[in-house]
Amino acid sequence: MLRRHLLASLAMLPLSFAVPAFAPLASAASVTEVLLPPWGTLPKAMTDRLGSETGVTLDTQTLGWDQILTKVATSMIAGSPPADTTEVDWSWVGQFGAANWYQPLNDAIDAATLADIPSAKFFMFDGKLLAVPYANDFRVLIYNRDHLSRAGIAAPPTTPDQLLADAKAIKAKNISQYPIALPLSASEGSATAWYLLTKVFGGELFNEQLEPQFIKPDSAGYRAMAFEIEALKQGLISPAATGLKDVEVQELFKKGDASFDLAGWAGNVAVYSDPAKSQVAEHVAAALMLSTTGTARTIGLPEAMGIPSTAKNKEGAKTFINWFIKPENQIESYKTLGNLPTRTSVLKQLNSEGKLKSGDVILQQATLVDPLFKQGTPVWYPQFTSAVSSALNQAAKGQLTVAQAVAQIAEEAKSAMQP
Amino acid sequence: MITLASIKERLRPTPGETWLGLVYVLPIILVMASLVFVPLVTTVLDSLYRIDPMRPGTPFVGLLNYQNLATDSNVQHATWNTLVYVVLAVVLETLGGLAAALLLNKVRHGRQWLLAILVLPWCLPPVVNALVWLWIYNPSYGVLNNLLKAIGLISENQVWFNDHHTALLLISLVHVWRMLPLTAIILLAALQAIPGDLYEAAKLDGASRFKCFRMITLPLIAGGLAIALSQSTVFAFNLFDEAWILNGASLDTRSLIIQVYMSAFQNLKFSYGMALSVLAMIASLLVSMVYVLKVYRETRFD
Repeated sequence: MLRRHLLASLAMLPLSFAVPAFAPLASAASVTEVLLPPWGTLPKAMTDRLGSETGVTLDTQTLGWDQILTKVATSMIAGSPPADTTEVDWSWVGQFGAANWYQPLNDAIDAATLADIPSAKFFMFDGKLLAVPYANDFRVLIYNRDHLSRAGIAAPPTTPDQLLADAKAIKAKNISQYPIALPLSASEGSATAWYLLTKVFGGELFNEQLEPQFIKPDSAGYRAMAFEIEALKQGLISPAATGLKDVEVQELFKKGDASFDLAGWAGNVAVYSDPAKSQVAEHVAAALMLSTTGTARTIGLPEAMGIPSTAKNKEGAKTFINWFIKPENQIESYKTLGNLPTRTSVLKQLNSEGKLKSGDVILQQATLVDPLFKQGTPVWYPQFTSAVSSALNQAAKGQLTVAQAVAQIAEEAKSAMQP
Repeated sequence: MITLASIKERLRPTPGETWLGLVYVLPIILVMASLVFVPLVTTVLDSLYRIDPMRPGTPFVGLLNYQNLATDSNVQHATWNTLVYVVLAVVLETLGGLAAALLLNKVRHGRQWLLAILVLPWCLPPVVNALVWLWIYNPSYGVLNNLLKAIGLISENQVWFNDHHTALLLISLVHVWRMLPLTAIILLAALQAIPGDLYEAAKLDGASRFKCFRMITLPLIAGGLAIALSQSTVFAFNLFDEAWILNGASLDTRSLIIQVYMSAFQNLKFSYGMALSVLAMIASLLVSMVYVLKVYRETRFD
């Protein structure tokens, strides 16, 4: 009998491991959980200072950008908080706003600070501020001065045609085998590069009625895609770009394999100029984005921090966000993590002190930032952008013509917009 | 004298034994119910509703999600890719696994070391496995290009994933490399259970090696073979890591489970993703059922 009881107890033992799962979770009110990508993960010196200045202790989870979306979505559907503060990308605003997942921050940030952060408008949904930008991502043309001078090119290109001509000259002199760094894989970085080039060619993706504007051969979107495919066919973009994401393409530039980072992240000028992170640090410079209209338009893809409506420590989260966007902390975040400050006053201060790499260009380009969608990021953006990256990738592989690719994107956009 | 009545009497549970039996099976019932059956039933039910956090309410939509799946070109691409993965994976894993098991069964000394080497790819996390192969297939500095150039089969570096069919084959090979050891171990266990007397008797009767394999080995490992085929099929239907890491969301190599992930967690159309996952599960179950019904035989050596 004793043996039987022993066996029965052993059989039940595994269940005892599940018991703690049903116990109430211990919470530490002073600890603020944050869920951010690697470039939002603060170094210890900053978190220590945060603790001493505000009393907030951070519990940081670092995840890849797309994994954060998965974690937020699963947590919010389950009604549990993904963290007290999370990354909010500009492209998630439509979804998060429609799902009512994030707490409005209009009253959490003072008006003067918000006025100093122009990209905050990207995170408005129905008049509510869903998140506060901490990384000012917009695109500039980044180039290798040494490559250009060795090819006898005096100034960086200002039009797509000039870029092709310069790239051919560099290739002809064997300075770089594939001078233009541009991702063409089925990834978000490839899609955003196409959106940028659509602006370069002087157009928009959609009109006010959200009708696709990239189908006709003379449209900016069509010409932008044709430009990418032509550069690839002429051997100015590496054929391996069909499998490379934006961050992998940036490595080509850092190693000196490419001369132009065509869709360069403005914050990356600092990273490329850091000898510890780049082999071309002393040759890096930024120029205004290419243009066919005389105005160097670019797109803004800022990243922000928001507070999920299910967050446990909302006060701690607000304190952290307000601390992180203080001028001195934006400067330290720029120096240590490469996050270009979102406050205009901080950008100007850095430039006046000579600490902003290619500062005049960055400041001038910052005034020419357009949102991708004038109406705000729509809820169907993820489905649309997935269709864009897939079709662009197929066109780059020669499986679709440009006409077929843009038609496929338009069809998918129509399907994504359906209720 | 033992009678049927006395056997029944002995097998009748005594008071107290019934609850003890229940206690024994309770953990597995609870684990299976909470981790398998309840999620399965809720997934099937939820696929009949519109669960989309961006839209208010969760109205009952019946089979609408399933109807939309039938006309979704992305799903059609992913289905075709997955079928290719399943066919390649099942054929290569079964043939390779059987060959490896037959070889290992012949080895008398150091079998444990060979087994340890064989299971190494299976022990690696799928993500690590895929990252290793990402380096091998890299178009700029990958080992595959360098190897083929060294032996003169190609003259310049190839971008392997630019061709649809090559990409499917290469991703299948990575999956096979990881899963083949499991098939080999299942079949080796089945082979080791076959009594040696049967082969000796067949030899005395003049049976050739091939005949021994066909008439003794194959029928007697049928149970193991069915299990190996089923697991190969289910894992190939669930292929995700290899395709995602090696070629991202590319339509050329997108599997059904990647499509489920994109529908549910990128587009946040949860019930649509659930409907697709239910169809993928049914498909892998049906194929596995064919193996069990056609291949599986209970093996008794007494």
